[in-house]
Amino acid sequence: MDESARAGDRGLITFERVTKRYPDGTVAVNALDLEIPAGKTVVLVGPSGCGKTTSLRMINRLVEPTGGRVLLDGRDVRQADPARLRRGIGYVIQQTGLFPHRTVQDNIATVPLLNGWGRAKARGRARELLTLVGLDPALARRYPYQLSGGQQQRVGVARALAADPPVLLMDEPFSAVDPLVRASLQDQLITLQTELRKTIVLVTHDIEEAIKVGDLVALFRQDGRLAQVGTPERLLGAPVDDYVAGFVGFDRGIRRLTFFSAAGLDLSTGPVLSGDATVAKAQATGEPWILVTGEGKPLGWVPAQRLAALPGDTPLAQVRTEGVGHTFGVGDGTLRAALDAAVLSPAGQAIGVDGHGTVVGVATFDQLRAAIQAADSAVADTVADTAGAPQ
Amino acid sequence: MTWSWIPSNAAQIWQLARENAYLGVVSALLGLAISLPLGIVAARWRWFNPPAQTVVNVFYAIPALALMVALIPALGLTDTNVLVALTLYSLCILVPNIVAGLRGVPEPVRQAATAMGYGQLRRLVAVELPLAVPVIMGGLRVAMVSSISLATIGQLIGVSSLGYLFIDGEQRDFLTEVYVGIAGVVLLALVCDLVLVGIRRALTPWVARS
Repeated sequence: MDESARAGDRGLITFERVTKRYPDGTVAVNALDLEIPAGKTVVLVGPSGCGKTTSLRMINRLVEPTGGRVLLDGRDVRQADPARLRRGIGYVIQQTGLFPHRTVQDNIATVPLLNGWGRAKARGRARELLTLVGLDPALARRYPYQLSGGQQQRVGVARALAADPPVLLMDEPFSAVDPLVRASLQDQLITLQTELRKTIVLVTHDIEEAIKVGDLVALFRQDGRLAQVGTPERLLGAPVDDYVAGFVGFDRGIRRLTFFSAAGLDLSTGPVLSGDATVAKAQATGEPWILVTGEGKPLGWVPAQRLAALPGDTPLAQVRTEGVGHTFGVGDGTLRAALDAAVLSPAGQAIGVDGHGTVVGVATFDQLRAAIQAADSAVADTVADTAGAPQ
Repeated sequence: MTWSWIPSNAAQIWQLARENAYLGVVSALLGLAISLPLGIVAARWRWFNPPAQTVVNVFYAIPALALMVALIPALGLTDTNVLVALTLYSLCILVPNIVAGLRGVPEPVRQAATAMGYGQLRRLVAVELPLAVPVIMGGLRVAMVSSISLATIGQLIGVSSLGYLFIDGEQRDFLTEVYVGIAGVVLLALVCDLVLVGIRRALTPWVARS
């Protein structure tokens, strides 16, 4: 218990007026002030050449600042022996940097072995980590060239976590894999982090990735200065200027709905009828579209006009239906998923389902708009509360 | 070709082949031992590379017989004389290969090793040298085959090798002996090369087989 509590307190990183100026006069990082709280995922994002990777590498001293200082738990990193410092900081890079001449288990065991663990203990730890990052322990004896890109990247994460460092640095860790693999690696990082509570500093040029995995996002300008630091909701909902608004993208209004739960959405059950119900009953509702269900599951939409030509006692199950598109979870879904479901529905209505896929009700665009406005005013209140606070 | 000459002189041919192998293999290995520190220094400190390469190239430009004759005052008509000459030649092949092998270690791997907490020396021994093995072994194969072939010149200063068969056959105007000498050198080189390929494979199970 005590140990896990302490793990959350270690790994506070502070940049104090940190500058990196190269001998040719190029300024990569310009008077950076940034606090990275222990146990949080902080994403450094910005265009290429903005200094985000340089900032990352100053934490484990792969790059030394020319001005200011970087503190880890209050201590200037330049007071520490570099090799010892680095063994306490996990490091993951885009090209994985796996050692081609070592098996998967020996790659993962690198830092434990450097720390003087016995080989058997280090390999045991390596196999634990393979499971943790979602790989089959049977891969332990393979060489990196025998793995797919996604598997190599997972091994890279396992290697960085092997000695259980409080801090994890990740430099464009998922940029080199295809979008499907990237999404699954991002999901896994989020899951791992809820368990491990490391201080994760992740560099990316992909704002979507930043918003997805970050507790905090630090957006850099081209000249190596910070443009805005804040939660993803804040960046999307209240960008400080046109640069930030432009960087987070033209559809930020829709994307920020990811952070609003669909639980507050009003649902109607009027248009929802089971397949046993008759055409006459459907016509009696007066709804322009009827959602036909079978054992509670959505089967398809029927437009009211189609019913006019049919005998009133026809069961709805026998009427030709339009596809349901996709549904959203009433309990765990977001307003973005609900809006998307409505956009893709032939009826222009989003189908809300419970954890078993049973229809709870449907929402129209009007109902969605009301829910979005309610969520917005709730955020506006919190923004007003924190206005004037730093960040 | 007088085929019957071969079995009746088998013992002598075998003896000469062993002496030839000794000269070729030992000089290539000595060359490797000297090249490793030179190559490591040249890969690490770039300014050292051009003068090092120039010096080893100059050795290569000296004709083999001339070099051995020049070494006579110091080393006499001995095995050592030939070994020194062949070792100097092998440097010319091995030093550039070691430099190329070390420089060929992918930058992300080097950076990852540093970031894991390897010091420079440990990184060299545990990561960079093992990864340079395929390139270094490629150089060693060329150096060894070339040493085995060049060793025959030592016969001219009286150091025994398959070269004896060329000279003796030429003096007696007996071509079979010359052909057997040539075939022996080629066969010897081939066997040593195969052994090195086997060693390289055993050392590098991590290289993708194509």
